[in-house]
Amino acid sequence: MSALEIRSIHKRYGEVETLKGIDIALDSGEFLVLLGSSGCGKSTLLNIIAGLAEPSGGDILIGERSVLGVHPKDRDIAMVFQSYALYPNMSVARNIGFGLEMRKVPPAEREKAVRETAKLLQIENLLERKPSQLSGGQRQRVAIGRALVRNPQVFLFDEPLSNLDAKLRMEMRTELKRLHQMLKTTIVYVTHDQIEAMTLATRIAVMRDGRIEQLGTPEEIYDRPETLYVAGFVGSPPMNILDAEVTGRGLKLDGCEEILPLPASFKSAAAGRPVKVGIRPEVLRLAADSPGPRLMARVEVVELTGPELVTTAIVGKQRIIASLPPRTALSMGSTHAFTFDEAALHLFDPGSGRSLRAA
Amino acid sequence: MSGTWISTRAWLMMLPLLVVMVAVIGWPLVDTVRLSFTDAKLVGTEGGFVGADNYVKMLTGSNFQRALITTSWFAVVSVAAEMVLGVLAALLLNQQFRGRTALRALMILPWALPTVVNATLWRLIYNPEYGALNAALTQLGLLDSYRSWLGEPGTALVALIVADCWKNFPLVALIALAALQAVPRDITAAALVDGAGSLNRFRFVIMPYLAGPLLVALVLRTIEAFKVFDIIWVMTRGGPANSTRTLSILVYQEAFSFQRAGSGASLALIVTLLVTILAVAYAALLRKAAGAS
Ligand SMILES: Nc1ncnc2c1ncn2[C@@H]1O[C@H](COP(=O)(O)OP(=O)(O)OP(=O)(O)O)[C@@H](O)[C@H]1O
Ligand SMILES: [Mg+2]
Repeated sequence: MSALEIRSIHKRYGEVETLKGIDIALDSGEFLVLLGSSGCGKSTLLNIIAGLAEPSGGDILIGERSVLGVHPKDRDIAMVFQSYALYPNMSVARNIGFGLEMRKVPPAEREKAVRETAKLLQIENLLERKPSQLSGGQRQRVAIGRALVRNPQVFLFDEPLSNLDAKLRMEMRTELKRLHQMLKTTIVYVTHDQIEAMTLATRIAVMRDGRIEQLGTPEEIYDRPETLYVAGFVGSPPMNILDAEVTGRGLKLDGCEEILPLPASFKSAAAGRPVKVGIRPEVLRLAADSPGPRLMARVEVVELTGPELVTTAIVGKQRIIASLPPRTALSMGSTHAFTFDEAALHLFDPGSGRSLRAA
Repeated sequence: MSGTWISTRAWLMMLPLLVVMVAVIGWPLVDTVRLSFTDAKLVGTEGGFVGADNYVKMLTGSNFQRALITTSWFAVVSVAAEMVLGVLAALLLNQQFRGRTALRALMILPWALPTVVNATLWRLIYNPEYGALNAALTQLGLLDSYRSWLGEPGTALVALIVADCWKNFPLVALIALAALQAVPRDITAAALVDGAGSLNRFRFVIMPYLAGPLLVALVLRTIEAFKVFDIIWVMTRGGPANSTRTLSILVYQEAFSFQRAGSGASLALIVTLLVTILAVAYAALLRKAAGAS
């Protein structure tokens, strides 16, 4: 049974079409992440699901029931906002219980629910405080608590972690994952952080300019990106994209004589056609004596991030980045042989940006 | 060392202003205090020292007591009405609709008018022979024959309060509107999702943002209303039958109409003291409110 169904949702503001037909069906218990850069329409879509904005076309079904025109409070959803949106004049306990209070849940029952939620989020000792007396992370927990306590069909999160510092963001990410695994709730989560998307989602919808570029599990998005945009968006450092041409002998990189093998899943690409070749930095290794394809590149810059050595090198006239183990011995300015697993190559059509992978 | 030099220079630079202030505010104030202990007339007699006689006479006289009640009525009712109207107008103008900007600008108009113009305008509206109010009410069938709204003791004060409200609610509306625009959109959205109806949203979510600014408006308006003079002077001169005679009108009559400078001065000082008490009380209230949030 699908908990949430988004059917060809359109949204226009005056002349501008912000959402250009979005279709997603979510099973109960799924964690969907809407991933995309700023302005692509993620919040707009979330607000339409919540009932805070009306779509110009399409339908939203929650628990198989169309909720178009239904007031947000009657949609069986709860929402966590980027700004936390806690009521500044109310205590933490009242903030969490406000939704129940408004739904006329008796005080005793309400208090019990608030206590249980607070316990789950480890904020029991904060219940009497005002939001202004909390740290960012604590506020975020309260905001999550306010959503959890109502136990709705669908949870909506709009960039809930983006106001936290890096360390806290990681902690809260783990916390959210733990909560989801424990409670098995259905979640729609908006972010522009691909790490958050990869770690939290059961499915990711990569959005671009009001459309869904690709919808799939994190593995699918990472291993088989359907477009250049998705390939470039997910992964850090981003996937290397090189210009090349399909020849009888393999893939000839532009501007040099390097030939890469044509992977089996792209065998249908016609000889003579130009392509974009994608290689993730993390699949590149120094060749040593190991067998496999070779790529000769001149090392220009190395940056040690701690766990890895981010190496920028030049192939012909094109730049390529490799994530190598930290203690790799490299000599700056000299040419090294890199190797990789040929199945890890991606080929895209330069015009449409679509993957050339045979279906 | 340079500190003392700077502070000497600061005092020097402020000196001309201080001289002017002492001359136009300090000296008259001191002289008013002196006058209030004499039986001086406005013209003619210099007057002799009479002790606290003026104060006793004023405070125990029925004129003062009646004026105090009239003033309090005027202040409480007009300020309360202005607050309610102002907040309602602000809530309305905070909605999204076409022509909102134009309406916002238009709303400020009554407040921008000089009080004398406003008062004259309302005198025309209330005019017993050709006033718009009489015309409107008779045409609607709510009134049998034209009435003299400002000429009857039963209606004059109410008529004045209406005119004063019309002029002053825009100020409250403006302050409330600014406060409303400071309410984060996410918070009202969260309240919507939490299931709060419009009344509960106003009470629990919006009101906390409004309270502080509204308190300031309340303070400003109450003190102003307590001192009210010009609108009443232009519209009724305190009449009919002294039904709209507020404290400031009484001071004026005592000092200038009846030319009793001594008792007029004592009355003026009593009013000043009352307003000061109000101001201090409100200041304390404001400090407490600021401390609470
Ligand atoms: N009320 C509105 N009126 C007009 N245009 C709007 C409105 N709300 C959003 N938009 C436009 O719609 C587009 C998508 O906005 P949206 O807030 O959904 O982006 P987003 O993907 O959430 O971005 P971000 O990551 O910055 O939050 C933007 O170009 C924005 O300017
Ligand atoms: Mg957004």
